[in-house]
Amino acid sequence: MLDGLSFELLMAIVASMAPVLCFGLIMVFTRRSISASVTVGIIGSFLSWFASLYLFLHYFHAEEAVVFKGAWVVSASLKIPFGYYFDPHSLLMLMIVATISLVIQIYSIGYMAGDPGKSRYYAFLCLFSWSMINLVIAPGLLQLYIFWELVGVSSYLLIGFYFEKWSASEAGKKAFVMTRAGDIGFFIGIIILMLTTGHLSIAVFGNAAEVGNTGLSQALLTLSAILIFSGAVGKSAQFPLLTWLPDAMEGPTPVSALLHSATMVAAGVYLVSRIFPFYAASSTAMMVVLIIGTITMLLSSTMAMTARDIKQVWAFSTISQLGFMFMGLGAGAYFAGVFHLTTHAFFKALLFLCAGVFIHHFETNDFFEMSKAGARKMLIPMITVTIGVAALSGIPPFSGFFSKEAIMAGLAHKGNIWLIAGLLGAAMTAYYSFRVIFVMWFPKGEVEEHGHGHEGGHDDGHGGGRWAWVTEWSMLSVLLILGAITLVLGFFQKELEHFLTGHSAEHHGSQLILVLALGCALAGVILAWFEFGAKNAKQEGFLSRMKSVEALFSNRWYMDHAYRKLLDYVVYGGITNTFTRNDRVIIDGGIDGLCRFTVSLGRAVSRIQSGLLQYNLYLTFLVVALMGLYFLLV
Amino acid sequence: MADFYEIVRQWPLLSGIQVVTALGLLVIMFIPEDRPEVIKKVAAVFSGLDLIICILLFLAYDKEIGGLQFVEKFLWVKTLGIHYFNAVDGINLPMLLLTGIVLFTGCLTMWQLENRVKEYFAFSFLLVLGVFGVFMSFDLFFLFVYYDIALFPMYPLIAIWGSTRKEYGAMKLTLYLLAGSALILPGIILLYIKSGLWTFDLIALSGAQFTPYIQSIGFLLFYFGFGVLAGVWPFHTWSPVGHVAAPTSVSMIHAGVLMKLGAYGVLRVGAFLCPEGWVQWADLMAVLAVVGIVYGAFVGLAQTDLKYVIGYSSVSHMGIVGLGLSTVTVSGLNGAVFQMFAHGIMTALLFSSVGYIYDKTHTKTTFELGGMSRNMPIISGFFILAAMAGVGVPALASFWAELLVFISAVKVFPIRGILAICGLLVSALFMLRVVMKTFYGPANPKFAGLPDVNFWLASPRIILAGVIVLFGLFPWLMLNLIQVSTQSFPKVMGF
Repeated sequence: MLDGLSFELLMAIVASMAPVLCFGLIMVFTRRSISASVTVGIIGSFLSWFASLYLFLHYFHAEEAVVFKGAWVVSASLKIPFGYYFDPHSLLMLMIVATISLVIQIYSIGYMAGDPGKSRYYAFLCLFSWSMINLVIAPGLLQLYIFWELVGVSSYLLIGFYFEKWSASEAGKKAFVMTRAGDIGFFIGIIILMLTTGHLSIAVFGNAAEVGNTGLSQALLTLSAILIFSGAVGKSAQFPLLTWLPDAMEGPTPVSALLHSATMVAAGVYLVSRIFPFYAASSTAMMVVLIIGTITMLLSSTMAMTARDIKQVWAFSTISQLGFMFMGLGAGAYFAGVFHLTTHAFFKALLFLCAGVFIHHFETNDFFEMSKAGARKMLIPMITVTIGVAALSGIPPFSGFFSKEAIMAGLAHKGNIWLIAGLLGAAMTAYYSFRVIFVMWFPKGEVEEHGHGHEGGHDDGHGGGRWAWVTEWSMLSVLLILGAITLVLGFFQKELEHFLTGHSAEHHGSQLILVLALGCALAGVILAWFEFGAKNAKQEGFLSRMKSVEALFSNRWYMDHAYRKLLDYVVYGGITNTFTRNDRVIIDGGIDGLCRFTVSLGRAVSRIQSGLLQYNLYLTFLVVALMGLYFLLV
Repeated sequence: MADFYEIVRQWPLLSGIQVVTALGLLVIMFIPEDRPEVIKKVAAVFSGLDLIICILLFLAYDKEIGGLQFVEKFLWVKTLGIHYFNAVDGINLPMLLLTGIVLFTGCLTMWQLENRVKEYFAFSFLLVLGVFGVFMSFDLFFLFVYYDIALFPMYPLIAIWGSTRKEYGAMKLTLYLLAGSALILPGIILLYIKSGLWTFDLIALSGAQFTPYIQSIGFLLFYFGFGVLAGVWPFHTWSPVGHVAAPTSVSMIHAGVLMKLGAYGVLRVGAFLCPEGWVQWADLMAVLAVVGIVYGAFVGLAQTDLKYVIGYSSVSHMGIVGLGLSTVTVSGLNGAVFQMFAHGIMTALLFSSVGYIYDKTHTKTTFELGGMSRNMPIISGFFILAAMAGVGVPALASFWAELLVFISAVKVFPIRGILAICGLLVSALFMLRVVMKTFYGPANPKFAGLPDVNFWLASPRIILAGVIVLFGLFPWLMLNLIQVSTQSFPKVMGF
């Protein structure tokens, strides 16, 4: 299938296939033994991470993209390859995915301790890593689509991991169906591309010089770009397909960290940035990306301002940050979008994993209650969560500051209106995220200290005894690692830009934008401080004085209601009902009627031959009379 | 290995399949009724032999040469031009393999049958004798006789061992299918007479120059005649009712294999002999297929009986086969034939899992079950895997089939192709809805403690699941074979 097995290729195969092998091993052999499954899963992820690291370092200075591919399916003139494509962008993303997958698996040792379904959990994590890694290094859009769908499936399985809860399985279904709604556009888009250009090679669509030579008309290019973007809208939870992501928080928290912040939802952004030159060739498509990103960013920021569930806040902030990335890409700032994707992957995973520690410890998702129960005594998670929030809000020197600033510069370049929207979003982001931090650091009212509240601890019923430190430190060490990355990543902006684009611009934006962005973020922080942090703060947002607005925000702008109505009245009540009745009444009724008619016709005919003389005479008379009438008339 | 296959190619394996099946039937007939264990073992052994021969055929077929292989042909009735003519090519070989797999796993699935075991297996073998015959015959006379042999046992199999309005279901099914074969027979006679060759030999007939008018009528007769069996909308309602009424392994054979008989007939007889008619009616075929895909999915959304759900999903999935056939392209045909195979395996797994659950809980209504993943994790896993295949998840066999069909459909009929793709969303919705209602949620305490499948009971499902994954990961194993024959099909566009 693949020609010539070199060491690099072997490493690529290890990176991409080790997880699926582990999935198979766990499902078939070690399902009954949790410790064996965990070991298999972690060894697999480590191998995959190690191979990815090797590839990253090995190809770091490569001049051109390295491609390995072989035929997967050949049908007449249709050729679908399977293979690997290594260029700076895919290598960077591969590194992010492999790293986050590995740390999440380590973290889960502690978080999922005592869960009887842990084997299944690790198997699904492996399945997810496999899909995600192969998505990232796909050489063609069709392979990307295939693993894109598999990412959807594994996310369905992971969100619905606690399948005995209706809410969790509902959430899984919702995520799958909603992302699929976007995927249908994606699928149609790549079919159009395939039929008009004859191939789907990323080497072509991701190369500015080649996009012009594909022979696509401008209209078709725009159409297929927008259709493909609809896949990204679904996967990255953009307006109007964004309501699945908050619900997806029903999954275990490490899953939220892995899928719904760092990797899966970032796939949408990756898709657009992957074939960025293709998008750049159509100004209409770029405008669509920009508009959708802006709407999403603003909408979800407002939703985050009223949430009391810590995971919900992070979920909405994820949606809004993804919106930011799309704004960056839509404004033409390729590097800014990808850079924000990179920094976001680490600090958002960090935020979710911190939340996981608190949720694991206090057994509640409400950060007001966590605060009352003494969250601030847990130093390591508190410090790391603060680092994460600072990065999210764009406070220097944390990584998010640099990437957000780059996006702002891009927006300013596009037009002032987009910059204003971006600044507004930045202010809201700072407000809602520091709201969480201030509430947790400064509990108000009576503080109930639970007996089991000790730093970084967990319920003794979980890990237990001699191995308790493993469960504890598996979680804390991951927080420290991610916290450290969040601290330093911002300083590698130049190196990353050089790596990705081949050149690094000396200066991005003016000082003015820097000041504006920082000012807006600080304004948000200060507002949050006066409402939630200061000594006499009532810990009530300004929104609580505007009941209707608060209701609008906390009901997610009634988008879920609209979808529910659509399903109930149009799909179930309308189409399904009509078709079902048609089946029963018209088609079946028609056939049954035909059968009855045949039977009664048979009865009627049989009566003719009943042998009764008077009937026979009567019939004969009738026939003769009719014939006579006929001849008379003709 | 190559040498071994060289030798194998000399063996009359096709007649071998029929001999083994007939022998199995005969042996079962001679075993006394009070020895059900022996009957089951005999059935398993003979169906296993059939499967082995089918696998051997699959491996030994030479894709380099292509064309008809394993040909067994001699004149049987000279005056009428009836030949005993068996052969395989890339189109019927997947179907034979499918039949072998479904028969074997079906026999294993029915291990727990207690009621009239002997008659049950006897009828099943008779049915499969007909199915194998249709797939391997290249003589219209034999094909038609086998076709009717395959249809007849369905009535007793459903009416005696079935459930849920079984007499109605059996009657409806039989009437529909006989009405279908009432169209096929005039079609065959029409071509037989008009060819002027006085032969039923399919290959010879394809060389006859039929006028476009004859081809048009002939194709229409075959399309609707065979199409009834393939669940072409609006002649599909027999299929869900029949599936529901039938016992497990009959549902497996019925949905897994019998419906393919229809699609195969349309392709092998209709399209092959009347290519002009095929091209002429392609538009209509595409419309009916798309309606079937979307309509089946929507009606499936309203069902609460697991078997009805699978029944309607079959209508939807067979619509994809129909759409593939209507494109008249190589890729479309590849997709259609692959879909026949993949759908057969997938539905067999679905029915086989539901059958076990029904055996244990005596219900197959979604809202009465609930939380089955807790009570029976393994069998639930099989169902969910098959449902995922039905949703069109990549890395499972039917994905590739759907992909090829959709690509060629968008090329030939853009609007209809896109509509069909949108049907994917509905089919995802209804499959996942059923999975959720049945297998997720709080476990029903009524069914706590019911045993899950052990290794032996799981074995037929393991085989089916393995096949789904194998051809999902390595689709070329099947597609390269199918392609050998679809490329040389008359009138197809080389896309």
